[in-house]
Amino acid sequence: MSGSGAPIRRLFVQPILVKTIGPAQREKRANHRHVSLTLGTCESGMKGKSKADHAGEEVVYHPVKLSRNDLYRPPTAEELNQLKEAESLFHCSLLKMQMEELLKEVALSERRKRQIDSFIQTVTKLIQTVPDSPEVEVSDLSWLSGAVKVPFLLVPKTTKGKFHMAPPSSIDLIGSYPLGTCTKPNVMVDLAVTIPNDVLHPKDVLNQRYPRKRALYLAGLAQHLASSSDIGTMQYSCLHGNRLRPVLLLTPPGKDSSSFTLRVHACPAPGFFKPSRFHPQRNNIRTEWYTGLQTSEPPTPHYNSSVLGDLLPRAHLQFLSAVSSQCSAFTDGVALLKVWLRQRELDQGTGCFNGFLASMLLAYLLITHRISNSMTAYQLLRNALNFLASTDLTVNGISLAKDPDSTPSISEFHDAFQVVFVDPSGHLNMCADITACTYKQLQHEASLSMQFWDNPTVDGFQCLLMTPKPMIRTSDHVFQLCELVKLQSSCKKLNLLSELMDHSGDYIHTALPFILSLLQQGLSQRIHLLTHSLSPDPKWSVESEAPKHKAQPPLSFGLLLRAELSSTVLDRGPPADSPKAAEFRQLWGPRSELRRFQDGDITEAVLWHGESICQKRLVPKQIITHLLQLHADIPESCVRYVGAMVDDVIKTGSEVSGTGEEESLVVVQSYDDLSRKLWRLEGLPLTITAVQGAHPALRYTQVKPLALTRKLYSFFDREKTSRSLVPKEGKPCPVYITPITVICHMEGSGKWPHDRLAIQHIRAAFHIQLGELLRKHHNYTCRPCPTHLDVWKDGLVFRIQVAYHREPQVLRESLTAEGLLVVRDNDEAQALEMATIHKPLLTSTLHGLQQQHPCFGAACRLVKRWLSAQLFSDDITEDTADLLVASLFLQPAPFTAPSSPQVAFLRFLHLLSSFDWRNNPLIVNLNNQLTEIKNGFMATRESLPVMFIATPKDKKLSMWTKRSPSIQMLQRVIMVAAESLKVLEHQLIDGSQKQDVRVILRPPLEAYDVVIHLNPKQVPLLDQAVDPPAITFSRGVMSGSAAQPGGPLPVIDYNPVSLYLGELREAFGDLALFFCDPCGGTVITVLWKPKAFIPTPFKTSQVSARSVEVTGDETKTVPNVEAILEDFRIMGKGLVKSVEARTEKWSF
Amino acid sequence: MAPSKKKHAKNQACVIPGGFTVLSLQFSSDSAARHSLYVKEHRVRAERSSHRPLDRTLFVLNIPPYCSEDVVKDLFSQFGSVQSVELRDHPGSSQESGPKLSKFFKPAEKQGFKVGYVVFQISSSLPAVKSHPHDVPLVVCTEHRPVKTGLQKWIQQYTNSFIQPEQLQQKVDSFMEDYDKRKEEEAERQKKEAEEEQEDEEGWVKVTRGHKGTKARPHSEAANQRTLQREITKKKRKELLNFYTWQHRNTQKEHIAELRKKFEEDKQRIALLRAQRKFRPY
Repeated sequence: MSGSGAPIRRLFVQPILVKTIGPAQREKRANHRHVSLTLGTCESGMKGKSKADHAGEEVVYHPVKLSRNDLYRPPTAEELNQLKEAESLFHCSLLKMQMEELLKEVALSERRKRQIDSFIQTVTKLIQTVPDSPEVEVSDLSWLSGAVKVPFLLVPKTTKGKFHMAPPSSIDLIGSYPLGTCTKPNVMVDLAVTIPNDVLHPKDVLNQRYPRKRALYLAGLAQHLASSSDIGTMQYSCLHGNRLRPVLLLTPPGKDSSSFTLRVHACPAPGFFKPSRFHPQRNNIRTEWYTGLQTSEPPTPHYNSSVLGDLLPRAHLQFLSAVSSQCSAFTDGVALLKVWLRQRELDQGTGCFNGFLASMLLAYLLITHRISNSMTAYQLLRNALNFLASTDLTVNGISLAKDPDSTPSISEFHDAFQVVFVDPSGHLNMCADITACTYKQLQHEASLSMQFWDNPTVDGFQCLLMTPKPMIRTSDHVFQLCELVKLQSSCKKLNLLSELMDHSGDYIHTALPFILSLLQQGLSQRIHLLTHSLSPDPKWSVESEAPKHKAQPPLSFGLLLRAELSSTVLDRGPPADSPKAAEFRQLWGPRSELRRFQDGDITEAVLWHGESICQKRLVPKQIITHLLQLHADIPESCVRYVGAMVDDVIKTGSEVSGTGEEESLVVVQSYDDLSRKLWRLEGLPLTITAVQGAHPALRYTQVKPLALTRKLYSFFDREKTSRSLVPKEGKPCPVYITPITVICHMEGSGKWPHDRLAIQHIRAAFHIQLGELLRKHHNYTCRPCPTHLDVWKDGLVFRIQVAYHREPQVLRESLTAEGLLVVRDNDEAQALEMATIHKPLLTSTLHGLQQQHPCFGAACRLVKRWLSAQLFSDDITEDTADLLVASLFLQPAPFTAPSSPQVAFLRFLHLLSSFDWRNNPLIVNLNNQLTEIKNGFMATRESLPVMFIATPKDKKLSMWTKRSPSIQMLQRVIMVAAESLKVLEHQLIDGSQKQDVRVILRPPLEAYDVVIHLNPKQVPLLDQAVDPPAITFSRGVMSGSAAQPGGPLPVIDYNPVSLYLGELREAFGDLALFFCDPCGGTVITVLWKPKAFIPTPFKTSQVSARSVEVTGDETKTVPNVEAILEDFRIMGKGLVKSVEARTEKWSF
Repeated sequence: MAPSKKKHAKNQACVIPGGFTVLSLQFSSDSAARHSLYVKEHRVRAERSSHRPLDRTLFVLNIPPYCSEDVVKDLFSQFGSVQSVELRDHPGSSQESGPKLSKFFKPAEKQGFKVGYVVFQISSSLPAVKSHPHDVPLVVCTEHRPVKTGLQKWIQQYTNSFIQPEQLQQKVDSFMEDYDKRKEEEAERQKKEAEEEQEDEEGWVKVTRGHKGTKARPHSEAANQRTLQREITKKKRKELLNFYTWQHRNTQKEHIAELRKKFEEDKQRIALLRAQRKFRPY
């Protein structure tokens, strides 16, 4: 592969085409969707050649060489401190440096700050000149020109009060920008415009009068600013999705328009309203006004806090500035915390834990002396996360208030809100909108981060601050509520009218906490965590009306499953006579029934439907749809469950649809039985010391688990002497039967010869003898060969290989001329060790992993299906793929170990595409035995495989990836993985798109030079193809139960496609690369190596398939392409349908 | 793509610089494309093996994978009767030593383009080959000599892969018998040598220079290494590490040097990562 640099690079430049044609309309080829790839990151990542490189800067890692003088000169006190600090504060000084670099990346540049300042000045000047307008009723909007609408949902239509425009009494910067904690991206600068006192009335607190005036004032400002040319774009939005707090978003004109946004708030003067009016138990929206009915007046805590929030920003800024001036690392700490939150999608939207809360949290920790003023940003982050992980604000709220007596008590806040964090004034709960679930998610994330922070085998920095955690990749199952308008009826059903009034008609966020607690109750033991997406702040242009609540994008919910309990089909309730039974019946409704169990108990129970493991995995879906339907009036059609959409790809087509777990289990059981029988065999000259499986099927990771087969005898020829079936010419290729490799170690003994050939013969003798014994005692049909023994058992074929533990050693030994015994490593010995030692070990280790994580096998099979469909299965071998998936389970940081195949697959694609293969080894910590290996790795990086996987047994060599992939293939894999991930995630998140997950399994063929189309009749694994074939062929099997022992051997390991591929590679391997999907692919694609097409001088060792051109004295050879293409046809006679040469492509 | 046909008139042999004659070869008579075989008389002075006599052996390059030894033999029989054909992956001297292996135990052959040594019975066949006109191709697969490729070949391969256990057992037995005999002979020889080293009646010992003489020192590389290692550890154990003040000072110095080195390494790694823009969180 070394000479193949250019062709594959050529491949990369080709746009990758992903076909979105459904199987039904495959003929209509007009429907292609072209997704072009952007180059860049991958290239730079792998080759160490970034954009900077092109500017002439060489960026290659050189082992550090310090001169003796540098190393041993006496240290200065300062240097000593620096070194000590790095050593003692951070387990690796690298992390400190990395954080410093990160802070540089997110900080605002001086240039940007100047731009912002100048824009603020222009806007301030413009706003100050806003003209007065005559006083009118609040509901009278005639003073506004039609071009600008009021950013408010006017429900109910009218309220009392008078309004007029007037220049603001003051304009101040508030929020993160003046504090210095503003970070990239989405730079947001907050500007508070104080509404003059004469526009407002102290009684405006009531009945949304103040929020409406605020909206009117903003509309007035917008109308005034609209005429100015100094403003780029102007949009309305609302603060954290709260419709009572509209804001005006301004961007500068010209090309800087996207670099930052100015957010204009309209606020009352500080202290204009009395804070005591906003006590969480007071009512400020009269029921009579809101509903027209005269009933009691329920408290309106959310309304109160949203009005109160407008009064306090200046005070908060003062408070934070005071704290920040005392602690030098405060701003950096906040910036790190903000990055951490942003990667976890917690910092934006309704009910988010935003940067403001992050700074308040740090201020709280500083004030309560949990962190000291002299700590560094790193320590601030660490302590903040530690605090979050250990403190449950849903139960024990915290307060920054100085005199708690004059303000509402914490318990009063707890009664009104789910999460409590009281601001310095003591009146405002800053976490009013946060749901308990979001806070639990925050806590979960914090404790997870603390767990892997100190783990030396994890790249803490990457996991902590660099890896994004979108919900689709974080949660095992995700579902969406699509038609949010249905939540209106759920509010009615759940009897939430007073809450709806408190939320001013936002039925989504009224119903959300109740739906969440309902689901939490129903799923209880099955999940670790229930999360939900934070609806993004709506944005709309100033010319259009405020969007309705239902216009929000679908609400997503994520479930973090508890692997062992999530798929049980039975929910057992309390005994029928216990008082809790009624509660249980109330929750489950008609699904709850009395059941009698084997232990004699009669209890309430709910039984869910699920036969195969794949169906059982979807029990949470049944629960969710049932509960939502029953209690919240949300029909099943509104719930879009994306828990197992990708699993379709590996579904088996038997009666009970499953994803192959059951079949794998049968194989493993049959193997266990065989190994037991082997152990018990008597009459062997040496005893068996170990029986080990060495096949993916024995670790549950075979793409399509083997089905037990029964033969249709008429379909085959018979080979009389050896009682075997033979494929018949002219018939379709018989079903492919994979032999399952089993390694059988024999006792070491002096009887073993010390000679490679003699050992081979002895092994053959053992195969014969084992076969004879198995036939005699258990009536299995056996076929001994020099290299193995095939055993036909329970409709499966096991290939037993006898191994002798000293054989690799014997292969390595040789005698020199002087009679000295030297030990030299060689390929043969390595291959033997791989087959008899490493593969069995890997198989048993991964088998163990499957026992811990039930979805490991299914995840591997999904991954391998993708790899093979994208024609990568020769570059990333099955073992490598299994190891890569194992790493996702063993080292899931910053996630938790996946509990559904789909999420594991998504993370696999992300791992492939984002892992920094050049600078880091991928550590697969099997059995938790590994510690740091990095430094040695960097020093010898150039000589190591491009994809380096370290396991406890193999720290230095990466034996699984030694041969492949090559750097070019890895680049291509990275690229295709990134594109697949993008397409797939998009499809999973966005329900409105065409749903065809197989898109990612259809490789683009445009990039290849020659495409060899195969005759589907002779492709034995055709039924595994990505798109199910239109015609199926009889392949000599009958459906039905397993075969009886004995009977003739079936056709074993006969696959014309792989035979053909092998011949092609042997004959033309130095001219071209061959790719094929081993799972039922009907094409073989060929890529010429351009190096092979450079005319070379005539050499006897390099004339294969070449023709000679004589020019004068020089004799040059070039590949004889016509003859080669003809050879493709000749060598695959009967298998090849056509050879399609895309001739225009190989003109070099 | 065929070698410059213009230069050579019809019905003439095509000889290229280097002395090779170009023969064209096609799979069947209706094939459109042709491979070129490059043939030359076998002339390697160093080689004195009897089965490649210099005057009668033809050296053939670029034999396509579907041509087996029998096919090649048949192809060249038109120039004179062929004594033997040997196909190899690479040109070079032949014949591995060691006991003869039965066909079951031979390692699988590579199925690529081959190099062939065709030995004719009489030396006059060589010029006949070399004067064969370039534009008359040799045909591999004809009616009376069908060559199986593709599916037919694989099915045949599969059928041929069956081995009778009895036959296999027999082969194993005969090999092991042979092996044991060789071992016995070896042991016998050693015993004899040992006997020779015994004192005779008069107390004389015969000392020979054979490999027996080296017995005093370890006999394998690994053992050599082990002895060396043992010496080193022995030396190490005797050393006192934290005894003198200067030793203590040195350890401290080493510690700081190590910290410095790690610091520098980290700094460089950061520089590398920065150059690759690895610090952008989003």
